[in-house]
Order: sequence, then structure tokens, then C-alpha cells
Amino acid sequence: MPLPATLLLIATLLPLASFVTLVFAGKRIGTPLAGVVATGAIGGSFAASIGALISWLSAADPVPWGAAREPILLLYKWVPIGQVGSNSTGWLDLGIYIDSLTLAMFTMVTMVALLVHVFSIGYMRGDKRFPRFFTYLGLFGFSMLGLVISATVLQLFIFWELVGVCSYLLIGFWYEKKSASNAAIKAFIANRVGDVGFLIGFGILFYHLGNVTLPNLWATLGSAGTLASGEAIGNFGYTLLTVMGIGLFFGAIGKSAQFPLHVWLPDAMEGPTPVSALIHAATMVAAGVYLCGRIFPILTPDAKLFIAVIGVTTLTMAALIAIVQSDIKKVLAYSTISQLGYMILAMGVGSWVGGLFHLITHAFFKALLFLGSGSVIHAAHHEQELTQYGGLARKIPVTAITFLIGVLAIAGTPLLAGYYSKDMILAHAAALGYLAEGQGRGGLWWAFFVLPVIVAYITAFYMMRCWMLTFWGKPRNREVYEHAHEYPVMYIPLIVLAVLSIIGGSYLGVSDLLQYTQQESNAIVRTIGGDAAGDVFASAWPVRSHNVMPPHEELDVAPAAEISLAGHVLEAGEHLMHRWVGWAFAIGIGLAVVIYWNGLTIAQRLTALPPLNWIHTWLYNKMYFDELYNSVFVGGVRGLSIVLGAFDRKVVDGLVNGAAALTRGLAVISGAWDKYVIDGMVNGAAAVARGIGSLLRIPQAGRIRLYVTMLFASVTAAVAVVVLVVLMRS
Amino acid sequence: MIVGLHHYLVLAAILLVCGIVTMLIKRNAIGILMGVELILNAANVNLVAFNHYLPADSGIRLDGQIFALFVIVLAAAEAAIALAIILSFYNNFASIDVEKASNLKG
Repeated sequence: MPLPATLLLIATLLPLASFVTLVFAGKRIGTPLAGVVATGAIGGSFAASIGALISWLSAADPVPWGAAREPILLLYKWVPIGQVGSNSTGWLDLGIYIDSLTLAMFTMVTMVALLVHVFSIGYMRGDKRFPRFFTYLGLFGFSMLGLVISATVLQLFIFWELVGVCSYLLIGFWYEKKSASNAAIKAFIANRVGDVGFLIGFGILFYHLGNVTLPNLWATLGSAGTLASGEAIGNFGYTLLTVMGIGLFFGAIGKSAQFPLHVWLPDAMEGPTPVSALIHAATMVAAGVYLCGRIFPILTPDAKLFIAVIGVTTLTMAALIAIVQSDIKKVLAYSTISQLGYMILAMGVGSWVGGLFHLITHAFFKALLFLGSGSVIHAAHHEQELTQYGGLARKIPVTAITFLIGVLAIAGTPLLAGYYSKDMILAHAAALGYLAEGQGRGGLWWAFFVLPVIVAYITAFYMMRCWMLTFWGKPRNREVYEHAHEYPVMYIPLIVLAVLSIIGGSYLGVSDLLQYTQQESNAIVRTIGGDAAGDVFASAWPVRSHNVMPPHEELDVAPAAEISLAGHVLEAGEHLMHRWVGWAFAIGIGLAVVIYWNGLTIAQRLTALPPLNWIHTWLYNKMYFDELYNSVFVGGVRGLSIVLGAFDRKVVDGLVNGAAALTRGLAVISGAWDKYVIDGMVNGAAAVARGIGSLLRIPQAGRIRLYVTMLFASVTAAVAVVVLVVLMRS
Repeated sequence: MIVGLHHYLVLAAILLVCGIVTMLIKRNAIGILMGVELILNAANVNLVAFNHYLPADSGIRLDGQIFALFVIVLAAAEAAIALAIILSFYNNFASIDVEKASNLKG
């Protein structure tokens, strides 16, 4: 086994070992030590991931088709399934697949997990289920790493469900709180809804392919990205492929909290804050984007269009809601949904690198923001309302500064992490607009660019609002302010994440690594499918890129002959993007600073104005999604059960009761027959016997002289009769 | 007057009627026992008398007398059992009045 594979397997199994240890001996190991065990395990994973990354990057063996490195694909025969689809081996495989993306994800996940573990030792101290918390974290670490290293879609699905279980367990960690256990159930059910789609997509895929190994998928269905409606790849018609892609994407809708299944993520904030940072911001919710990244080549243009529409809807909706939320974790939750919307949009508009790049940078700054909020909440004794904060920068300066760095990073400040990844997505979206316009498809396609651009301004605004309300101005709750303080064990992870948020976009070379991944994947596809397979991981648009007209002349793009058509369009998109988004961060942040300089006074005056107060109420109630789902789904099921209940009571019970009444009537008749006829016969016989008996009792008086009298009287009578008879005869 | 068979039969009938009347009117258990003895002896008189007046060629010699002897023995045995019953009865009721022996009356 190659060295990176060995190291990554160790990295995957170490959290599992920690989980098993803590499951059986967690209570005996005790409160601070259980955390140390789990932290040690994930630290080992991190070290192994770094080792694998170094060994991966330092290997320079030349491989065909110009890729830097050859991906590692290790498969083991698992289940004999016979001939399914086009799979002629007769086996269902199980295995690991390692390319640069796997390594990037491993390093990111283990690093964030390690920092969250360290933070949790401080944050969860004093909790009565401290060891159990780290037990769950161990299981989550294993599941998440297993998901990333999976070589087949089936394996991916298994780990997909495992991370879902961990999410459920950790959201409901404080299950004594009714809201927490409800939130856990809500998250689980929302994810199940998405997973039904995943299973349908997987079913179609498995039925037609049989071999669901990722490279096989790409090699077989890789041309789906440029497929025209009505064409087919083998058994797969265009419609079937689209349905399959959308089905698999439904899994991502559930897991990555996209519209319309986003409702679970804000409620998931009921879990402990480190869990929100690790699972519901940095890693698990990004698994949907990771899944989209892995199935990217087999998505048809229409499936991509669907994904882009979902992404743009989600990011706009969530950003609007985030403006008015007053709970610090709810703001971050909607911000997460919005950023996940960006990543999903990236997959939809064909920016594979941009989406996954944003996944990783977002993991850094969102984990930072969540851990920062955790530090604030811990300092404020579990007060989460922004209205109760204010001026905390003087009390917890390290948290304030690192949180500000996170805000700047998510706002897209140049040279910080979010700037690079968000720009890459927006450039692709703009390029898509040009492509669609070039084909004369109308201006609606510009929505994929315009809405995310507007949301970029909104993002900067609401994140800065959150910071201003928490750390700036006068303290609005004296008690919270006086008792606030911070611990080194909690702010050290913040500092590390702040550094990563600064350098994660440019200096870490994440985007380079992802571009390597494209080359590697293309290489392995050609190894399997031959030269004809093509570059399946190139930018693939919802709009098919043949017969594209060049973008507008006034954009000042040099029409260099060597630039490919896609490259040309991209460059134009980049120009447009820079023109519109370049100062978004400054405008958004500046506006927030002006409005919230003195706390809530200006904001309160603004939201009292007639058109704004309606919008404020609408947004504050999260656009009434919970109420809508409650009335449509819960109410619908209730209504249906009322109808069914009435049917049950009236019709089914009526039948049963009718049968019972009939039986009852028959029983009455039968009873009367029994009582009067049968019993009458028996009683009659008894009465007769009784009467005879009472008659016979009279002579049985017990008087011996009476007996003697009767004896002689009867003998005399008998003799007399005999004599009389004899006399009469003679 | 020549004593014939008729005289014996009349005597036996008188004895029988005396025995029956004794049984009917006596409340004393021993009296009743005596009545029974009278009835048995009336039968004995009949048996012996009939045997004596049989024709000589009938082949029957002393059968009646032997029968009478059996009846006497039987009467002795019966008297023994009856006296035992009466004794037991006396133990229970401190009396031998048969009117009192009505516990089994239904």
C-alpha cells in the first residue's frame, strides 16, 4: 500500500479507536482525561494527514496525460452481486480513493476537528456528560474522514448516514432541553427527506452501472456535462441522467441545508457551540458540496441548472434572514446556509474548483466565527442574544480581534481567505451570464451573477452588524459585561484559525491543490476510458458551450488566439466580477459600522418605518418557513389523520359494530331458546322427579310399625287378589 | 274328638296373627322380637304338621322336621343379632322404644 494511503487509513481509524475506547471506558477515564484521549487521537490523525500531504506533494513520479500525480485507488471485493448493469466483474467493490482533494479535505477536517477538540476541553468543562461528548466527536471524526476517503458512492452513502447520526446525537446532546431534542429530530428528519432523493439517484446509478466506483462513474458517464437533450450515454437517456443527478443532489440539499430543507440548520444551534463549529459549519454540512464535487462530471446541464437555482435561492434567502436575527448563533447559522448556497451555486455554474475552494476557506473562517461565538457565549454565561451584549471587546480582546478577522474573511476583504474563493465562484457565474447571452437565452441567466453579488454586500453588512453588536458600543447588559472573561485553552484555537483565515486563500495553495485534483481525475479517467474520455473535470456549464458568441466588445478583453473559448469567457467574467464586487466588503462593513455605532438605536428607528417593519417581521420570523411547513406537512398529516380517523370510526368501526350487533341479536334468540326450551325440558324432568319423590316420601316415615303394617296389608291384599282371581277363573 | 291337620293349621294361624299383632302394637323392641319369634314358630308348626300328614308313598320322610330345626337355629341367630342391635340402640338413645329410631326419616 502506498504511503499516503497507509497514513490516511491510520488517520481515519484513530478517531474510531478513540470512540471505541471512550464508549467502553469513558466514565472510568473521567472528565478532563477523556477529552485528552480524544484530542490525542484526532491530533494523531492530523499529524498523519500532514504526513500524507507531504509525502503526496513530494512524490514526483511522472504519470501519463500530464497529471502531476496519479490518484490512489485501492479496491477490495466486498459483496458478490452477479451481473448488474454494465458491471461484468460480479462484485460490489469497497475501497479508498485518494487524490489531492482527499488530502485537502483530510487536512482541513482533522485540523478543524483538532482545534475544536482543544476548544471543547475548555468549553465543555463542568458538563456532566463530558466523556460522552468526546465519544461522539470521535465517532464523527471517523465518519467524516471515512466519507472523504470513500471510493464508491455506496460507501459514501454509508458514511453520509453515519455523520448524520453523529449530528443527531450532538444536536440533542443536552437532551433535557425540549428544544434541543426537537431540533435533533428535526435535523434527522430533514436529512432523511434529502436522503430519499439520494437513494433514488443511487438506485438508478447502481441499476445501470453496477460498478459505482467514482473513477468508473466519471469514465462511463463523464460526457454528461456536455450532453444535449435527447442524446444518451449507453443505457442512460438524458432525462434519466438528469433525474439521477438531481436525485443525488437531493442528498446534498438535506445535508448542506439548502432551500427548501434548510430549516434544520438554524435549529441545530441548540447543540453545544463546538459542535456547531465542527459539524454544522465546517465539515458535515459541506459534505453535500463534496458530494456534488465528486459527482460533478455526471451531472447533465439541466441537473446543473437545477443545482444553480437551488444554490442562488438559498444564498439570497439565508442572507436576508441573517440580517435581522438577534441570536448570535442564528446569525452564524444563516450565514453558513448562505455560504453553502454559494458553494452549491458554484457547482451549478460549473466552477468545480471555486466551490471546493470556498468549502475549505469557509471551513476556516466559519469555524473561527463559531468558536469565537462559543467564547462569547461562554464568557456571557450562555447568553446568546445580541441585544444583551455590547462592548465586550474590552473584556475579551483576543476573541474580539479573531472574530473581526473572521468577519473580514467572510466579507471578502482582499488578501483574506474568502476573497479568493468567492471571487472564483462569481467569475464563473458572470461567465455563465455571458455564455447564456451569447446564445440568446435572455437576461434571466444573469440572476446567477446579480443575486450573489448583492448578497456579497449583504454578507459583509450582517457579519459586521453581528460584530458591532457584540463587541462595540456600550454594554447593554451590565451583569453579562461584568462577568465576561476568556480562557487560553479556548482562545488558542481562535488564533490558529484566524491565521488560517488570513492565509488560507492565497498562501496555502489550496486552489492549486484543487487544480491538481482536476488533472489527476482527468488522468485516471483516461486511464480507464482511453483518450476519448476527455477532460471530464473541466468547467462544465448549464449552458452548453458550443456555438458561443464572444462577449461584448466594450469589456476590453484581448481576443488572444491561444486562449480557449471557455478561458476567454472566464476572463470576461472575472473583469465584470471585479468591477461589481471589488468594494463590496468595504461598503457592507462601512454601512454596518455607521448604523450600529451606537448599538441598536438607529436600527430600531429604521425598523419602525412602515415598509421596513413589515419586511423586518417577515425576515425575523425566518420567512415563516417553519410555520409554512408546520401547516402544510404537519397540518396536512393531521388533516389526513382526522379524515382517516373519521373513516375508521364511522365505516370500519361501523362494520365491526354492526357485526357485533348482529351477533348480539342472534345470541339473544339463542339464549331465549336455551333458557325456555332446553332448560324447560331439563327443569320439567327435574320437577316431575321431585313431585314423585315428594309423594314417595310420605310412607317413608321411619316408623317401623308402619312398615310392618304396610308389609302385612300389602301381602294380605296380594293374597286376596290372587284368591279372587283364582275364584273368578274357576 | 280326633285331632287332625285342620287343628294344627288353625293353631298356626292363631300364632301367626298373635305374632303380627304383637309386632304392630308393641313399641318395645324386645316385644317386637318376640312377635317375630311367634310368627316363625307358627311357620314351624305348619311345617311339622304338613310333614306328618303326608301320604306314606310320597318318599318324603323327615324333611319338615329338619326344616323346622333350621328355622329354630336361624331364629336363634336372628335373636342374637337383633339383641346386639337393641343394645347398641339403647346405648345411643337410653331407650329401646322403636318410635325413636326415626333419624333416617327423609
